[in-house]
Order: sequence, then structure tokens, then C-alpha cells
Amino acid sequence: MSSYIIPSLIIALVVYSFVKKKNAYNDFVFGAKTSFDLILISFPYIVAIFIAIEVFEASGLSDYLASLLKPALNLVGIPSELIPMVLIKPFSGCGSLAVLENIFINYGADSYLARAGSVIAGSSEAIFYVSAVYFSKTKVTKFGLAIPIALFANLISAIVACAICKII
Amino acid sequence: MNLIWIAIMIVGLGIMLFTNASAAFATILSGSEKAIALSLKLWSIYAIWLGLLKIVEETGLDKKIAKCLSPIINFLIGKTDDKTKNFIAINMTSNLLGMGNAATPSGIDGMAGLDKGSKYITTAMAMFFILNVTNLQLIPTTVISLRAMHGSTNANDIILPTLIASISSTLTGIILVKLCKKMFKKGDKNE
Repeated sequence: MSSYIIPSLIIALVVYSFVKKKNAYNDFVFGAKTSFDLILISFPYIVAIFIAIEVFEASGLSDYLASLLKPALNLVGIPSELIPMVLIKPFSGCGSLAVLENIFINYGADSYLARAGSVIAGSSEAIFYVSAVYFSKTKVTKFGLAIPIALFANLISAIVACAICKII
Repeated sequence: MNLIWIAIMIVGLGIMLFTNASAAFATILSGSEKAIALSLKLWSIYAIWLGLLKIVEETGLDKKIAKCLSPIINFLIGKTDDKTKNFIAINMTSNLLGMGNAATPSGIDGMAGLDKGSKYITTAMAMFFILNVTNLQLIPTTVISLRAMHGSTNANDIILPTLIASISSTLTGIILVKLCKKMFKKGDKNE
């Protein structure tokens, strides 16, 4: 059922554009062109984060930290393999996609870990990144409770993600 | 992120110097290699979704969605000028469609529109911030595409779980901001 959603939406969009007498082809090409800029901006971060992730895992730091946090996170139902995901998500969206891709490679894209990881990646955003970038045109430097609330809300989504993927 | 990256590089490479020095540089290289592979995948995903998003923009569909979102914005963010409201609506729409990166420019402009010139965050800004980081998504397009590229047989089966997980975190965030309104009074008093 869910496999129909994306293709149907694309068809509906192109038909709507046609009815509105817009040039869907030209618009698509123009939009796709902007992907250059986006990837140019994010590429250096992806490299930096991927290198750090590899070092983090190869040095054994990841295992050490995971064993440290394991009791607390296992208690709320987050498996040890997803701990790096939960830790990096608040800092970087690209970083969490990098961790997610590692999970796909190691455990298969249809495994429970891959699904739960996908839901965590899809249901939260890089809190510290957003707090730095979104406020860049404002004078705000004191965030008060906003960041603790954001972190807590994201922990909730990670817990729900791990629980829900066991059922659905 | 700065400090964490520096700490991982120093401590991690430091440990490897003693445990597995010969593998250290290979580890860094493999990181960079994987980064290129992921960037190529992301690039193809962005090309598709940014292309489609442009069609949405040109048909004016985003403004229609923005109009539908208007009462929700009034309830959550409160009164603000139309221009800011439009930025917020475009930002919310991009987020709902799973285009977190495309949401950034409108997010910055929306936040600037809510700015009261104080160094303390206002309730409205905190709410807009929370809405962005709890990431309510109808279709998590980037993750679905990445999963499909890794040979998933049903990459779409995370749509419903993602919706449920992000609804839970969004509601948690909204309720907490509303409850903690007093904590933001330093920023709010300038309004």
C-alpha cells in the first residue's frame, strides 16, 4: 500500500502542473540544478564526519561509549547498535545519514536495526545545527530551555521509533 | 560539533597509535571514500526532490498549503506579519515533505522575522525551533530513497512508523514549550 504513495504523488503533481499550464520539465530541471549547491555545501561536512565516525569505531571508542550508555538506553528499549545514531543525530543530519548507511551495509536495509535507525533519522533533526544556523540572522544567544526540550523530544521519538518498529 | 570532532580525532587516533597504528591512515581514507559514496547517493536524491519541489513552487501549491497551515501557525507561533508567516509556512511544508535541507533558507528568514532584537529567545522562536527539530514528516523522502538504494524490498514501510515517532516528539515539544512559557519571559517582555 505504502509503495503507491510516492509515485502517485509525483503523477498528481505533474498532472496538476500541466493543468495549471506550467512547464513541469523546465521547472524540474531548474530545481535539480540547485542540488549542485546543496551537495557542495554539505560535502565537506560529510567527509569530516565520516572520517570521525570511522576513527570513532576503529579505535574502540564507540564500543566503550556504547557499553557506558548501554544500561540506560537499553532500559528504554534502544538497542546498543543504534546508540551512535542517537548520539550523533543532535549534532549533524549528514552524520546521522552516514551512521545510517553503515547500519544498512552491516545489517541489511530491511533488518529491524535498519528500520528503527531509519525512523530515528527521519523523525528528528540536528538540534545543535539548527540552533546555530536558523538563528544566524537574529541576536539570540540565550536559548533557555529550548535545547533541553528539543533533546528530550528527540529522545522520545527515538524510544517510540524502537518500540514501533517491533510492531509494524 | 567542533569540540567533539577534535576530541574524537585526538583521542581516537591517539588510541590507534598504540593499538593498531598501521590501520590508522587506512581508516581515515576509508572514511573519506564512504563520504564520497554517500554524497553521490545524496546528490541523486536531492536532484530528484529539489526538482519536484520546484514544480510544487511554480504551480503555487506551496502557497496553497501555506494558507491551510495558517491557522496552525497562528495557534502555535502566535501573531506575526504575513511575510514571516509565509516563510514559516514554506519551512513547515518542506519539513513535512522530508526536505530538511530545503527547509533551511525559509527557516533562517522565518526566525529572523520573529526576532525581537533581544539576546533571549522568545516563546514564538522556541516553538518554531522545536517544530523544526522534531521534524514532523509526512514522507521521509531522503531516508526512504537511501534505503531503496541499499536494496530494501519495501523502503516505504517506514512511513507510518516515522509519522508516529515524529508526531510523539512534536507533541512532546509543543506541550513542553507551552508549559514552560514562563521560562521564556525574558525574551517575551520586549514584545
